Amino acid sequence: MLDINDLEKRWLHYKIKSYIPHAIITVSLIVISTILFFIIPSEVPTEKKVTTTKVIPKQIQKKPIIKQTATTQVVTQPIIKKEKKIVPISIETNKKHALKLEPSLNFMNKMQNASQPYYNNSNAQDKHRIMITPNTDSFKKPTQKAPIVKEEVIEQEIEVVEDEEVIEPAHKISIKRRNTKDDIAEIIKRFKKNNNPALSLFVAKKYYELGDYQQSYNYALITNNINSDIEQSWIIFAKSLVKLNEKEMAIKTLKSYIKSSHSNSAQILLEEITSGKFQ
Amino acid sequence: MSSSIFTNSRDVFLDVVNHKDYVQLDRVSTIYQSLKDSIKKPLKMILLFGKPGTGKSMFLTKLYNDLSSSQIVYLYQTPILDESEFYKTLAQDIFSIKYSGELNFTQFMKIVDNSSLDTIPVVLLDEAQLYSDILMEKIRLLSDTRTIKFVITLHKTEKEDLIAKEHFQTRIWETIELENSSVAELKIYIQKKLMKANCFDTANMFTNKTVNKIYKFTNGNYRDTNKLLYALFDIYLAYEENHKLSSIGGTTQVPTKLIEMAAIHTGLINA
Repeated sequence: MLDINDLEKRWLHYKIKSYIPHAIITVSLIVISTILFFIIPSEVPTEKKVTTTKVIPKQIQKKPIIKQTATTQVVTQPIIKKEKKIVPISIETNKKHALKLEPSLNFMNKMQNASQPYYNNSNAQDKHRIMITPNTDSFKKPTQKAPIVKEEVIEQEIEVVEDEEVIEPAHKISIKRRNTKDDIAEIIKRFKKNNNPALSLFVAKKYYELGDYQQSYNYALITNNINSDIEQSWIIFAKSLVKLNEKEMAIKTLKSYIKSSHSNSAQILLEEITSGKFQ
Repeated sequence: MSSSIFTNSRDVFLDVVNHKDYVQLDRVSTIYQSLKDSIKKPLKMILLFGKPGTGKSMFLTKLYNDLSSSQIVYLYQTPILDESEFYKTLAQDIFSIKYSGELNFTQFMKIVDNSSLDTIPVVLLDEAQLYSDILMEKIRLLSDTRTIKFVITLHKTEKEDLIAKEHFQTRIWETIELENSSVAELKIYIQKKLMKANCFDTANMFTNKTVNKIYKFTNGNYRDTNKLLYALFDIYLAYEENHKLSSIGGTTQVPTKLIEMAAIHTGLINA
């Protein structure tokens, strides 16, 4: 008679043994798939992060602010001031001729050859875009209250503002022609495509001019990373640092740059910063 | 289902060579018929070869039983390894000459030459791979006289192939190779064997799935299948005696567990 119990034990042992390879394969597959699951997605987004953090999010943050400031002019002030200052317009219409239209062509001179064709095109387009700068600060508070704007209203608003400025003393009014944030965005888009340091330098300069020192710092840094021999980029970089209250850092950066390049402009800027002329 | 059926079913698969247990399978029947036809031809020697457990001995036994009624045939299932003893046995069986002393090849050839047999006797030698090379050479010379026809079975190994080449290359011949069964043949083999013993209930237990599992362990080898099924019904008996048949799912189908247990018991699985 067979010893069934012993045979069953042996059978159980055999079954466990036969399942071991399957278990090992399954476990290893799970481990591999989990590793792949965590490694591959984490690698891909890091590249995206680099591009997005540097360029896209900050544009998105900044864009609405300007638009809102423009729109506030439409909603709040025009209506009020139109009513109040109808009379002065008729009186001092001659002062319209005293308005200063200053197309900023400085950046054009500074642009490098690679970016010039585009810049000229944008310049041509920009001739139709005229913005009013001095009142933007005063409109900051209303922006929170009136975020939605229509284009038709903007047209009205520009006219109104011009009227308003006529009323005020001429020396205080300065209407400057400027590249909008859309232009910068367009250039950033181009920069992302061809990685041309001239474009990123241009963006840095424009941001600096707009007073967005954080962004100008960022783009100057990007430019330096691409090409560390561009003097203007280092200067914008140092200036932005000073504006961001990182004077020591700016001095340190300039010194190291001067050491390697012997740049006169950088030397002058360094002296200005250290002496407190440039703040 | 009574216990006697398991006992009967188990005994069906006892590893015994008996021509009555011979199971007719299409392919095997064809081979058998070709073997019978070969014997009728004026061939000096017929070689039957195959792996152990492919049914060579059964073939030879069956052939012996079938031919014994119509012609002179001698079956030697156990090899006679001593040369003198081999000649003496043949002299006594074929020529009815008793030889008390040593009988060498020359003396035996004289006996063969002087013989006046009407028909050529057929000598069936099983497990011929156990014979020495010298004796095999002498058997070849004997077959050359066309006084005795030999049918020999060999295990198919490298060594046996060598024997075949060296000794029989220019002689013979008819060579018949026996192989393991296919899955379908194995199912027929098992069921026919059981039904021959009137074990219809147990025969019905062998579904395609069960036979596939058995084939996996035995690779269609008849001897291994017999051993496995013997162990299987032995396990069934043990479960029945312990009143545990219900724990293995009754008797409608052979569970895989039992087949594996039988394979472990017979050594087909290393557990």
